[in-house]
Amino acid sequence: MNAVSILFGKLLIIFSRFLNIGTGSTWPGHIALALNSDFIKEILKQNSIEIILVAGTNGKTTTARLIQRILEKNNKKVFQNSEGANLLNGIASSLIQIATLSGKINKDFAIFEIDENTLPLILKEVNNPDFIIILNLFRDQLDRYGEVNTIANSWNESFRGLNDKTILILNADDPQVAFLGKSRRNILYFGIDAIENKSDKPQHASDSTYCPNCQEKLTYYSIYFSHLGDWACGKCHFGHPKKVFTSSPTYPISGTYNLYNINAAVLFAKSLGLTNEQITSSLKDFRPAFGRQEILSVNGKKIKILLSKNPTGLNESLKTISGLNAKNVLLILNDRIPDGRDISWIWDVDFEDFSSEFKIITISGDRAFDMGLRLKYAEIKNFQTEENLLKAINFAIDKTPQKETLYILPTYSAMLEARKILTGKKIL
Amino acid sequence: MFQKRCEGRRIKLEIIKLNVGFTDTDLKKCNLLFMGGAQDKQQQIAAFDLMKKKKILREIIENGTPGLYVCGAYQFLGEYYKDADGTVIKGLGILDLYTENPGVNFSRLIGNCSVKMADGSTIVGFENHGGRTFLGKQVKPLGKIMKGFGNNGRDGTEGAVYKNSFGTYLHGPILPKNPVFADNLIKIALEKKYGVSPAINLSPLDDSLEKKARNAIANRLGVKL
Repeated sequence: MNAVSILFGKLLIIFSRFLNIGTGSTWPGHIALALNSDFIKEILKQNSIEIILVAGTNGKTTTARLIQRILEKNNKKVFQNSEGANLLNGIASSLIQIATLSGKINKDFAIFEIDENTLPLILKEVNNPDFIIILNLFRDQLDRYGEVNTIANSWNESFRGLNDKTILILNADDPQVAFLGKSRRNILYFGIDAIENKSDKPQHASDSTYCPNCQEKLTYYSIYFSHLGDWACGKCHFGHPKKVFTSSPTYPISGTYNLYNINAAVLFAKSLGLTNEQITSSLKDFRPAFGRQEILSVNGKKIKILLSKNPTGLNESLKTISGLNAKNVLLILNDRIPDGRDISWIWDVDFEDFSSEFKIITISGDRAFDMGLRLKYAEIKNFQTEENLLKAINFAIDKTPQKETLYILPTYSAMLEARKILTGKKIL
Repeated sequence: MFQKRCEGRRIKLEIIKLNVGFTDTDLKKCNLLFMGGAQDKQQQIAAFDLMKKKKILREIIENGTPGLYVCGAYQFLGEYYKDADGTVIKGLGILDLYTENPGVNFSRLIGNCSVKMADGSTIVGFENHGGRTFLGKQVKPLGKIMKGFGNNGRDGTEGAVYKNSFGTYLHGPILPKNPVFADNLIKIALEKKYGVSPAINLSPLDDSLEKKARNAIANRLGVKL
């Protein structure tokens, strides 16, 4: 039965590539699961692959890519579910793509990027994965997922079924993520350095400032961004874990959030016994995934894309480009299903902190005028709105002086669209 | 939002954040109230605090102090909220309405929406709620839902009005995209504070961007503004 699914799925993948209708990263899996709901479980059982699950609101793609790079450079055979295909059907599709007709997979490691809501489902399919890496939990796509606490609760619930074989790699600075490790064994914590990253004020996008253990308001000794920081509960004394890995031997990409992604990936590598030298040399020339600080060049002008799909993400992108002395910015706000249809999150972004930072701001996307309104209320005046993305991109590039960089901050579907325009290629 | 629209007309405005533990005096100082929803956990904490101040809040609302109550706050002003698992959470009982969540097998009411108000104007926004609200006789609906679900997805009503208090499911947020509605609240607050009549006329502001944002969503919903 599974052989039929695999064969059919593989044909579907070839077909869709041939016809250029996307890479077929979800449909084959969708069909395989419809024919056999245990497809994922059975294929994985048949093979002895070490399984790494990477979950969290922001940073999954970058972290998975870092891990893949480290493993491959150290002679391990690795495969991964494709970008954006992080629901069950995407994971099944990745198995179809890589397996022989008999279901054999000739790889050492599987890295699965998992969507927040899919994590409990995938834990049912993969009984005890070897590693689970949890990066963070922020507000994202409220229309699809409901609230952060609901997700945290369902994670907690599903983690109860895990045995101690699974190594949990958790973000110590995120209270709800750290809480997942409470009274469990085999946990490694990562975080970032408290002194170097201290910020003075809490951001509006802050999501979880109540104790996950007893609901009391948490005390923060320092906040790095959003609700990430050095926290403790004054009532039940549940607090920030003590032993936390914060210092990777190398940081190949910039941005505070990338400190977390890198520390998580490196902590994983260290748990396999890799040395600092091995890790550093494998991450030399590491290039981020598309749309994540990816650099393109058009008409001799540099364009840097920073995917910014939720309040925390956009706050961090603004901080990062402001640190890079950005002058030319293009904001693109779409409200399609992959972006989340509810765009009210833009009002939780601290644009006020950047009111006189940028020289020329262009705004585009399905909800360009809503973004314009947001900037208006942040007392930002030097912006232009253009709903048509092609026109907006041309305008923004045109206004960017030679030798300067245009920074594009798009939501997810906007990132794919902008990239397609800029590179002339369709990617998903 | 209120601040910017007042500044533009040289109306002095002070915003007091009433966090958990605020006093009756703080509340009495206010000429205009705004309360939003939050995540369940945060909302429970705020609700527990508000229950202790129920009496004074009722007095203020009965007095005609204008207020805008969105989503969770709107539900909480009612008689009760019945959870998805059947647990009944007592509300403040100030507005004659109740809310029931039909359970996990029913989908949340989510999407862009538009509402025709009694005065013929239209407000637009985004709704996202699991609970279905039903109005009693003491309150009037805020308006008629044109596109979207509104209070309960059945009776065509959206929100509730009682004296000068307005409850609604629309966020998006509601004020920036509906400047006429926002101005109306400012007007009521001023009239109430200074006891003036005839009605106050606010000088117009440049709302061209607001209009474009409203039009973009109205076009998508296929409604006329």
